[in-house]
Amino acid sequence: MHPGVKVNLWGDPRVDEKIKPRVLRRNPPDLASCTLPVWKLITAGRLFPLDDALASLAYGAEGKTWKETLRAGVLADYIYDDKTYALPSNLGVWACWYSKKLFREHGWSAPSTWDELTALCEKMLAAGIAPLAFQGKYPQYAWSTILSCYQRLVPFEKWYDIEDFKKGAFLDPSFVKAADLMQELAVKYFQKGALAMTHTESQMEWANGRAGMVFCGLWLKKEMEKALPDDFEMGCFPVPMVTGGTGDPKAIYSGGGESFFIFKDGKHPEIAADFLKFLLSIEPARDYVKRNDSLTPVIDCQVGIKISSALQSAVDAIEGSTRMYSDRLNTLYIEWHRTLVQQAQADLLRGAITGQQFADRLEAGAEAVRSNPNIYKPPARGVPAL
Amino acid sequence: MSPKHLSRDTKRFLWIGMLPSALLYGLFVIWPAINALMYSFTRWDGLSTPVWIGIDNFVNLFKSGSDFVTAIGHNIYLTVVPGSIILTLALFFAWMIHLKVAGSTLFRVTFFFPNVIASVAVALLWVLLYSTTEMGPINNIRQALHMEKVPFLESARLLQSIVPMMVWSATGFYLVLFLAAMENIPVDYYEAAHLDGASPTLQFIRITLPLMWDVLTTGIIFLIVGGLKFFDAVWVMENGRPSPATHTMSSLMYAKVFEEYNVGYGTAIAVLLFVLVLIITRISMRLLKRERLEY
Repeated sequence: MHPGVKVNLWGDPRVDEKIKPRVLRRNPPDLASCTLPVWKLITAGRLFPLDDALASLAYGAEGKTWKETLRAGVLADYIYDDKTYALPSNLGVWACWYSKKLFREHGWSAPSTWDELTALCEKMLAAGIAPLAFQGKYPQYAWSTILSCYQRLVPFEKWYDIEDFKKGAFLDPSFVKAADLMQELAVKYFQKGALAMTHTESQMEWANGRAGMVFCGLWLKKEMEKALPDDFEMGCFPVPMVTGGTGDPKAIYSGGGESFFIFKDGKHPEIAADFLKFLLSIEPARDYVKRNDSLTPVIDCQVGIKISSALQSAVDAIEGSTRMYSDRLNTLYIEWHRTLVQQAQADLLRGAITGQQFADRLEAGAEAVRSNPNIYKPPARGVPAL
Repeated sequence: MSPKHLSRDTKRFLWIGMLPSALLYGLFVIWPAINALMYSFTRWDGLSTPVWIGIDNFVNLFKSGSDFVTAIGHNIYLTVVPGSIILTLALFFAWMIHLKVAGSTLFRVTFFFPNVIASVAVALLWVLLYSTTEMGPINNIRQALHMEKVPFLESARLLQSIVPMMVWSATGFYLVLFLAAMENIPVDYYEAAHLDGASPTLQFIRITLPLMWDVLTTGIIFLIVGGLKFFDAVWVMENGRPSPATHTMSSLMYAKVFEEYNVGYGTAIAVLLFVLVLIITRISMRLLKRERLEY
């Protein structure tokens, strides 16, 4: 395709810490996937828009543009002034994971309501198994569960008020209820000592059968691959419907992740965009599914591939859903999320504050963000079209 | 010989000799420091043009409920609590070894041993000790004794958990420092005091402490500066994501600059940290100043 172009791929577990100073020094790589303050880069004009590449013909999909080969909605999170600045390489699902074998042995089934979930937790306690492992060193792991629980309680018109950072959005009684339900799970059903465990430690507890379930993203399978016993059959279920809730019971918290960015300061942004188009074309995407046992935003990337029970249950959850939704507040308002929300969640989970106090803190922090003219706030999106 | 009496050639030679070091120091220390001071008066994300905002960053640092005020509290805690325990234990054990109690040579090596381990490795070792999984020996012992597991590494109690780690890793260094000072004191003084009927405790208070005061002051300054700059254990034990419950001034500065790209604000923290270390060190030196005793 591009004779004479040599691609240097470089990976490092500490990629974030290494790329960030390079961006500040205006010496970034052409293309990167790591945790960056993306919105600051976008609004400062430091990222390269992908729209021309998205409108060009895709590799391996005759007659279709690159954009037409991607799942609807995955590009929505990083649009600024009608231009797209990031492309997710992964399609994630937030779910509760369990061992099918363990469930079979005890005659348990995946819950479909919150009451069934707590009843299942009681059964696990009675069987001497801690119901829920939790990645307590990173309290933000509770965020997607709280938001999913809130989604079950309210219609999407209300749910997206939070995403649009509308005044008073966090004070909605249903949001307080979602926080209370999360706290109940933590206080009653989290494994003892979970709040001091890292993600790998807690997930290892789950893999070793000392905890029955764990809320996590689809990456869990790959992350714990080496620790899982050979006969481990992973299954998952979405955050269950809350009794009395008016939200869509079939919607699923799912969206793009592990986004790639192209830097304007890079040496070859156009070629980098083309390379990204190649990476996210059907054949490499299928290879990604085979290698990583995970999904990509490329439509039908998993079709015809023999996939694991874990991935199959995630695919079932997506295919059985009416709508995919996800949160982008953590990328928009980094300081608010990394400090205030993280601390408030830690306090909520250890029972130091109530759900109402949690909501009050988030709202107070959100108000400070709203009134700060130096923080970019995108126009309200409302409920995105399907 | 005073500089006045140096010949012109010698002075020229000295200036030429110092020039490379002075240039490097200027380039890598003075110039970045001047830049940092300037950026601390700007709102700057490191990406766009800095905007001059005067002292706003410094005002915001001290606003009620700011993370920086909380972080200062954490630094004070990590200076005072482990510092006082370390000083007391180091003095006590140095005195015991100085008195040549049984096994003192072994103690000298044993106490110093943790000091040769890199601070990051020490933190990782204590993460393992404190673990609430089956890997954690402390919680395993507690369980064997039918006691509840304690989440030592939970953010809300991490600072308290760091204290024993600091005491374990730092006491040996101060012990060796104080012991060296004690062993420089002439034996005659103790013999004379002994003949006058002074008890070992009185000898320690009246002879040892006054004659090692300069070294003790140095030790206290080391502890204060170390406490104010504290970073690595918090960073490692929080897996690179300290929360407001655990941030120290240094970790907050790092997070602001490199995680949030709030470079102006983060640089203001760096400037204040420098000023605080300077002021507190000067105050401590003045408060601890005693008339120098010679022997």
